[in-house]
Order: sequence, then C-alpha cells, then structure tokens
Amino acid sequence: MKKALSVFLSVLMLLSVCLAAQADAVTLKVWDGQDDQEILKELCEAYAAAHPENTYTFEYGVVGTADASARYLEDPAAAADVFVYPDDQLIRLVQADALYEVTRNHDEIVAANSQGSVNAASWQGTLYGYPETSDNGYFLFYDKSVLTEEDVKTLDGILAAAEKAGKKFNFDVANGWYIASFFIGNGCEITLDENGNQVCDFNNEKGLAAAEAVQAMCNHPAFLPGDQNILTGTIGENVCAGVCGTWVADAVKERLGDNYAACKLPTFTCGGEQVQMGSFGGCKILGVNTQSANPVEAMQLAEFLTCEASQLRRFEVRGYGPSNNAVAAGEAVAADPALAALAAQSEYAITQLIIGDFWTPATAFGNELIANEQNDLQTLLDQWVAQTVAQ
Amino acid sequence: MRLPRELFRTVRSGNWSVKLSCLIMGFGCMANGQVGKGLLYLAFQVLSILFVICFGWQYISHFGTLGENAQKKVWDEAAQIYRRVPGDNSMLILLFSVLTFAVILLAVWVWCMNIRSAGRAYRLRREGKPVPSLREEAKTLLDGRFHVTLLSAPMVSLVLFTVLPIIFMILIAFTNFDSNHQPPGNLFTWTGLQNVTDIFLGSELKTATFRGILLWTVVWAVFATVTNYIFGMLLALLINHKYVKLKKMWRTWFIIPIAIPQFVSLLLVSRALEPTGAINVLLMELHLTETPLPFLTDPLLARITVIVINMWIGIPYTMMTFSGVLMNIPEELYESAEIDGAGPVRRFLSITLPYMIFVTTPATITTFVGNINNFNVIYLLTAGGPASLDYYQAGKTDLLVTWLYKLTVDQHDYALASTIGIFIFMIVSVCSLTVYNRSNAVRKEDMFQ
Amino acid sequence: MKKHISRRRLRVSIGLHTVLTVLSVLWMLPVFWLVVSSLRKEPGAYTPYLWPKEFTFDNYIRLFTDTTLFNFPRWFMNTLFVACCSCLITTILTLMVAYVYSRLRFKSRRAIMNITLVLGMFPGFMSMIAIYHFMKAIGLDQTLTALILVYSGGAALNYYIAKGFFDTIPKSLDEAATLDGATKNTVFWRIILPNSKPIVVNTAINAFIAPWVDFIFVSVIMKDNYNNYTVAKGLYTMVDKANIYHYYTVFCAGSVVVAIPIVLLFIRLQKYYVAGVTGGATKG
Repeated sequence: MKKALSVFLSVLMLLSVCLAAQADAVTLKVWDGQDDQEILKELCEAYAAAHPENTYTFEYGVVGTADASARYLEDPAAAADVFVYPDDQLIRLVQADALYEVTRNHDEIVAANSQGSVNAASWQGTLYGYPETSDNGYFLFYDKSVLTEEDVKTLDGILAAAEKAGKKFNFDVANGWYIASFFIGNGCEITLDENGNQVCDFNNEKGLAAAEAVQAMCNHPAFLPGDQNILTGTIGENVCAGVCGTWVADAVKERLGDNYAACKLPTFTCGGEQVQMGSFGGCKILGVNTQSANPVEAMQLAEFLTCEASQLRRFEVRGYGPSNNAVAAGEAVAADPALAALAAQSEYAITQLIIGDFWTPATAFGNELIANEQNDLQTLLDQWVAQTVAQ
Repeated sequence: MRLPRELFRTVRSGNWSVKLSCLIMGFGCMANGQVGKGLLYLAFQVLSILFVICFGWQYISHFGTLGENAQKKVWDEAAQIYRRVPGDNSMLILLFSVLTFAVILLAVWVWCMNIRSAGRAYRLRREGKPVPSLREEAKTLLDGRFHVTLLSAPMVSLVLFTVLPIIFMILIAFTNFDSNHQPPGNLFTWTGLQNVTDIFLGSELKTATFRGILLWTVVWAVFATVTNYIFGMLLALLINHKYVKLKKMWRTWFIIPIAIPQFVSLLLVSRALEPTGAINVLLMELHLTETPLPFLTDPLLARITVIVINMWIGIPYTMMTFSGVLMNIPEELYESAEIDGAGPVRRFLSITLPYMIFVTTPATITTFVGNINNFNVIYLLTAGGPASLDYYQAGKTDLLVTWLYKLTVDQHDYALASTIGIFIFMIVSVCSLTVYNRSNAVRKEDMFQ
Repeated sequence: MKKHISRRRLRVSIGLHTVLTVLSVLWMLPVFWLVVSSLRKEPGAYTPYLWPKEFTFDNYIRLFTDTTLFNFPRWFMNTLFVACCSCLITTILTLMVAYVYSRLRFKSRRAIMNITLVLGMFPGFMSMIAIYHFMKAIGLDQTLTALILVYSGGAALNYYIAKGFFDTIPKSLDEAATLDGATKNTVFWRIILPNSKPIVVNTAINAFIAPWVDFIFVSVIMKDNYNNYTVAKGLYTMVDKANIYHYYTVFCAGSVVVAIPIVLLFIRLQKYYVAGVTGGATKG
C-alpha cells in the first residue's frame, strides 16, 4: 500500500516536472470595453492557440478606453497586463511610468500602421503602445431624406435646411473634444512646447472669431446641444444631423436605414468667410503595464491583438476603423460610409496633445454659450485658456 | 501625567519580578500566580515585536522621506525590453507606517497595563490576599467591565476602517500626492502646509471655488432641509386629515418612489430633464415652451431643479415621520383643549405643531448634516454641473463633497482633496457637535429613565 | 343644518382627494415610467414618444439568461449574500455600542461618544483608498468578504438613533433585574433587546438595504472584478455611455427586480422606520 502510494507520488512529480518543462503557465489580464469583450476573447484564444510553448490563462476585465488611465492609476499592480487606452491619455500614463516602450519588433509595427496612429502612440520620439484602431475621431452623420449633399457642405446649409424641415442639428458644444473643431479649423493651436508645457491660443483674434461662430450656432433655433443627442434626440425623427463618432454608427444606421449617410465636418462662417472645421483625430492603443509579471508575453499578446488579421476581424465584427495600413486599404473599409467620412475628415484633424486642465473649463465654456444668447466671449476664452495652461 | 507617575511608583515599590515585567511582559503576573494572564501578555509582546520587525520596519524607516528610490528602467538585452526595477512606494510607506505606529501605540498601552497588573498581583500576594485567576477576571467582562466587552469589537473595526484611514488621509494633505506624483511610478513627499496656503493664499481660482462651493453647500442644506420639513409636514397633515379615506393606500403611493434605489430613480429623472428628455418633450408638445428648458445647464435653474427634485426624494421620508408622530399625539391633550373651547386652528397651533416640532428636532438636525454631505442627489442628477469657468474642476451645483469626489476619483488630486476634506470635516463636526450636545441637554438624556 | 355640514364635508373631502391624487401621480410617474420602459421592446435610452410601440417581457428574460456580458443572477446572489452578512454584523455591533452609551457609565464615556459621532462625518469614500490597500495587504482585495467588512465596519458610527431609543426604556427594569442577580450581559439580552424591536428592525433594514443601493464603495473595492459586483454597481455599468443604447431597457428591468423587495420591505416595515427616525419618542 505504502509502496503504491510512493510510486504514484513519484509518477505525479515526474509528470509535473515534464509539464513544467514543456509549457510555462502564464496568466495575463486584459482590459477592454464591455462591447468588445467577445471579440477580445476570440482573439486571445487565437493567440493562445498560436503560441503552444506556454499555457495561457486569460483574465478579462471590463474597462473601456474612457476610464483606462483612471482605473489604471487606482492600483497599477492590480491593473491589466495589456489594456486599451485612447491616445489622449498617453502622456498621463507615460508620466506615471505606466507603459512599456515598444522595443520588440519596433520597426515592423511602425511600418504596418498608419503614420498618424504611430505618432499618436508616441511621445517625445518613443513608441509607447500598439495602435489598435484609428477611428477615435468625429464627423457628420445625416439623414439623406432631409439634407442634400449640397446642404451638408456648410454649417449654415445644415442649419437652414434643418429649420425648414422642423428638425434639429446636434452638436455637443459642452465638450472640449468637439468644440475644439471650430478653433482648430480657424487656425488656433493647442499643443505642447519642447519642455512639455501646454500651449493654447484659443483666446487670440482667430479664437474669438471661432467662438463667435459657435455662439451663432448655439443661438440658431435648429441647434440641439447634448452628448450623443443624435441618438437620444433622436435621429430620423427630431434630429436630421449630428456630429459624433463611429461608436454610434451602428445605432444611427439602424435608425435611418437607407437614409443613413456620413461625411466630413462642414465649413462654417467665420468673419464672413467659409472655414473648414478641424477636429481631433485619435486612435485606440494597446499598452503593456510596467507592473506586469510577464512583460514579454504581454507584448507578444498586444502585438497579436493589433496585427493585420486581428484588425481585420475587429473591423468585420465591430466596424472599427483599422490603423493597419493593409486593412485600411481594403475595399470593405473604403466602402464603409462612417470610416470613409472619418478618412475624409482626417485631412483636417490634429493629434491631441493635452496635459493641462482643458476639459472641465471647455465644458464650462460650452455651457455658457448654450445658457446665454450674449456672452463676453473674450473674457470667457481668457479664463478657459488661463486654466488650460496653468501649471 | 498620572499614569507615568503611577507606573514609576509601582516599579520602584515592586520586587524583581515586577521590575522584570518592564522587559518581559507578563513576567510579574506569571511570578505572582497569574500564569494565564502573564502568558497572554508575553504572547502579545512577541507578536507585536515580530510585526514591527518583519512588517512595519521596512515602512517606518522611510517615513521621514516617504521613499527615496524611484522606479528605474534597466535594458534587458535578452528580452529586448526596458525592465522596471521597483522603487519605493510612497503611498504604501505612508499607509503602513500609520498602521505600524498604531500597533506601537497599542503595544505601549498594553505595556503600561502589564506593569500595572504585575504590581497589583504582587501587592495582593504580599498582603496574602487571593490573586484572581484568568477565569475570574474574564467574568467581570460580562458585568462590571461589560462596556469593554461590548465596545471592543466595534472599536477595533472603527479604528481599522475609519480612524486609521482618516489619519492617513489627513497626512496626505501635507504631501504632494497628485496625478503627477503617483506611486508606484513616481514618489511623493512631504510638502508641509503647501496645500493649505495654495488653496487660501496661492491660487485665486481655488480660493474662489472653495468659497463659492461652501456658500452653495450651506444654501442647499438649508433649502433642502426646510422645504422637505414644511412640505412633508403638510403632506402628512393632508393624508391624516379625518375626511381622507384609504390613508394607508395614499401613504404607500408616496413610499414606493423612495424605495427604489436612488441611482435608478435619480438617473431616470436626470435623463427626463435633458433637452430631449420626457419633461421637455411634454412641455413642448403642450406648447408651454418653444425651446427645451435648460434644467441642468443653466446655473440658477439647475440649482432650483436639484432642490425641487430633492423634495421628490425627501418629502416621503418626512411624511412618514410626521404621520407616525401625529398618530402618537396623546388624545387627552386634544380632549382637554376641546373642553377649553379651542377651535381646530388653535388646537393645531397650540398642540399639534409644538409636539411635532419637539419630537422631530433631532431627526431634522441629522437631516441637515446629511444634506451637507448629500452626495447622491447632486452627483446623480447634475454631477455637479453646469461646469463653471469661475471654478477649479467644479460646477455650479457641486457641493463640497461632490467636488472632493471629482478631485479624488477623476483628477487623482489626493493632496488637494484631503486638504479640503479636512476643512469640511472641521466645519461639519463642529456644527453638529454643538447642536447634538445642546439638543441632548434639551432632551435630557436621563429624562425618561 | 345637518345637510349643510355634510355637503361642506363632501366638498372638503373631494378637494383633499383631488390634491392627493395629483400629488401621488406626480410621485408615481417616474416609477410608472420605469416599469413601462422595462417592458419596452424598442432599444435605446430615449424615444421621441412616451408610450412604447410594443411591449415585451424579453428584457426580464435577457436579464436572467443572457449572462455573457452582464451576469445579473450572480450579482443578485452576491448582493443578497453581502446584504445578509453585513445586516447581521452591523445590527449586532450597532446595538452593542448603543447599549453601552445608553446604560453603562464609565470613564471618558462622553468623549468617546463625541469622537464616534464626529468620525461619521468624514466623507467615506476618502478613506476607501486606505481601506482598499489594507484589504490588499491581507489578501482580501476584490472579494465579497472585504465588501462585508466595509459595509459593517462603520457600524459603531450609527449608534445615535438606537441609543436614543434605549434611553427611553425605563431604567427601573434594569435595576429590578440586577437586584434579582442578573449581570449586565443578561440585562442586555433579556431586558433591552426584547423591548427594542422597532429599533432592531430599523437598524437591520438600513443595513440590509445599503449594499443594494451603494455603487461607490463597491467600485473602489471590486475594481475590474466583474464576478464580484453587486447589482447596484452592475446596473450602473449597464448605463455607461458604451452600453446605454443596447441595455437601457434591461437596466430598467433589473432596477424593477431590485426595487421590488425593497419596496415590500419598506411598506411592511414603515412603522419601524418612524420609530427609528424619532429615536423612540414615538413607538411604532
């Protein structure tokens, strides 16, 4: 009896030694948004299948891009090994030393992805992540039955046609991300200087002219403020056009059916001339946590999750705009109205380089314009810029 | 000063066993017949020393600087990556230093108790009296020292879950712990009174924000309490009117809405108030307004809105309270008043009203304090908005507590938040202590006993 | 004469009932809307019309069966477990503290009372960061145990109302028992507790409801551990920007499911609530 037990135990030990030599058990935690969990699981399993040298166990956490840096900073050690974040959180994360530099296969990754997405994932010449999508921007959705292609070329055209049809045009003025499009369009700057300090000149003459245009839009009867009111307000019924991003594309398409259309942002009247609206163009990036116990495996996974095949799959399933050049050049991507509109707008888009307190005062600025018909715009702009560039 | 002197006298007058208790805890007890108690002391001493050496020392040795070595990068040629060498974690140093200091303080206190009981056991034995055994002493915990038994568990949890975290947060106020000094990637360190001077002298924006929000917090608390009090009382009187049938059913209609979790009901209401929400749709369809009303975006209107919605949440509670009180007013009071020929109005003013006010005063004070820290209503309805350019990271309906929440959770500006937290804490606690102790004096704690 | 009075009475009565009807409609409207939305077939947070075009029970079915993204049944059991445990612990701790402050006289009682009172005024979420790391140090982070400890850890702070109630129980009862040889321990269990049903029930209900409605503490403790979420946190994530369009009606269904037990508790036990608020000045 005793002997049998000892034999059994030694066999067990031998077995475990063999197993340990064959494959290392690696646990990786991955974060992505709620809607992307399914595709994430699918791709992770594909990765595990492609890498039999290790046995992988994945833990999936639901943390979307909007919260990524906030959730990460709460407890970096408990955060995911690989997590997705939007490019505007890059600097904050780098300052917290949260991200591994991309050093393995660096050149291949740079070559495979669009220049814009690589720039967005880099800071001071170092690449800090694996571009996953390049659709983190906004453009115009509209209802073809109300607006013509001619109408959507200018803001005035949209507003006039909307008013005539008794419908609304939605633009989230109380959000720095959207409202900046007027200022960027008119040639204002929001960027960082070589010392990493925030630069913002929204309060100069050009900025004032842009702000006047925003004010005029806010005072128009066909204007509807609010976040995602294009959906909630509802497009197809009360709303005929709105500025938003790819994440609402499916829902808008569902509402509008054959009347679904998207295009680049319109021009707006500024000092008597038509000026093209600018925008922030961004991408989602996969980062590897510096606190990770298995950084090499985490990097391999991140690379796999952003490779050509994965990006294609993500486009097919979720409709996300790829950052990978090969996928972006594909026919299917070009045929997608939302991604085509985004691509058209990208010509006028800039990368977000913001570390100052830009967002909260921007919301405050937008609120003032909605609440009052007349404002001392110069003072408001000065306050906004002062808070943004304050150290 | 009494305790050290007493201990000194005990040690001087005691024999060698008492003196040795200063070094080896419980020795005096064991030498004088209290073996069980002595062993407990000894076990405590061993455990606490082990705790400090094995766990606490690595933290308190860095307490002065909160860590010197930042996380470093080292190139790993084999893996082709910049491996991170972990540095000191300022936050854990601070947190576990607080814990270790608390343990040390506890150990000092137990050490004092150990000398005291050694002295007592020695004295009893010298005088030839029986020395109580551990079992006999434990028995007093159920009677003479019952408060020790009852309070120990709640107090331990209180110290761990409330006191130590509060001390930690207070200490944070004297550091530069913000989003730019976030462990483990970065260190933070002591900055003295920098944050206090920053709020009150350095930054005009922060001073203005603090002043504005404090003022609105007070206005909000007063209005929220008073409106609920008055209208809740009226509603209770209405339902309890003698002509009203089916009182129970009416009461239920008002109770159901407050039984729904606030994060649900307030979220619904807040959505209904948006430009495209149900209320605006309704108003426009009835042609009461041409354009949507900015319920949540106009500063003044938003403030009025939160107070009104708070009535929706709060009135049922006051109604329930007043209904209960109304049913408990002694009938004799009314009967004697009726004999005196008092009319309904007189009866209400001279009996019902004073009685209700008397009974509900303590609850009203609690409500008032609760409203100062009323996180849910503001956060779920407006999230503090509309944001204002006159404020630092805050909006026009932000209360101090919601501003604090934004600063910690959204901005990770812990040092600033802690500083403000201390001020809120001071204001609220001073107010409520004064009021509670005064109302206690009015109610006379022992009146009924 | 008699007829005149009764006519006046009728007028007043109709007036009162009209006002009450209008008010209760105002109060019940959001509730009604919640129930209607939970039965709505069309997705989305808003519809431009108030009345749904089609009704369905699918949202409820989806809530309990579609657990790939949102595991509502599991969250429900989590919450129930946490609520029961923390209810038990909180009630015992609170009553113990209240009894001590009400009946026992000892050195520095007043000071300890005031300190416990004041500690409750510190914004709770501020200390959550510290608590999270304490929990992590003992390996309890992101667990239901940690959540129970968090909800019941501050029990000693809520003694005020129960103490007020205990103060109204005549001291002569204790004294008579003490003369019969009862210790303070027996007095607590045999005299005080049986006489304090309203306040026991009140404390227990409040402790039981807290885990169902809190979404702040649970976020800090659980972070990304979806499996250990409570219903409040879970439902709150359903109305995140990313999910709201597809899950709003499911969220409403979930809210109704959570609200029903609480509503029933409230209706059945409202008299204890009153006793709680007025600290025993009135007894149910």
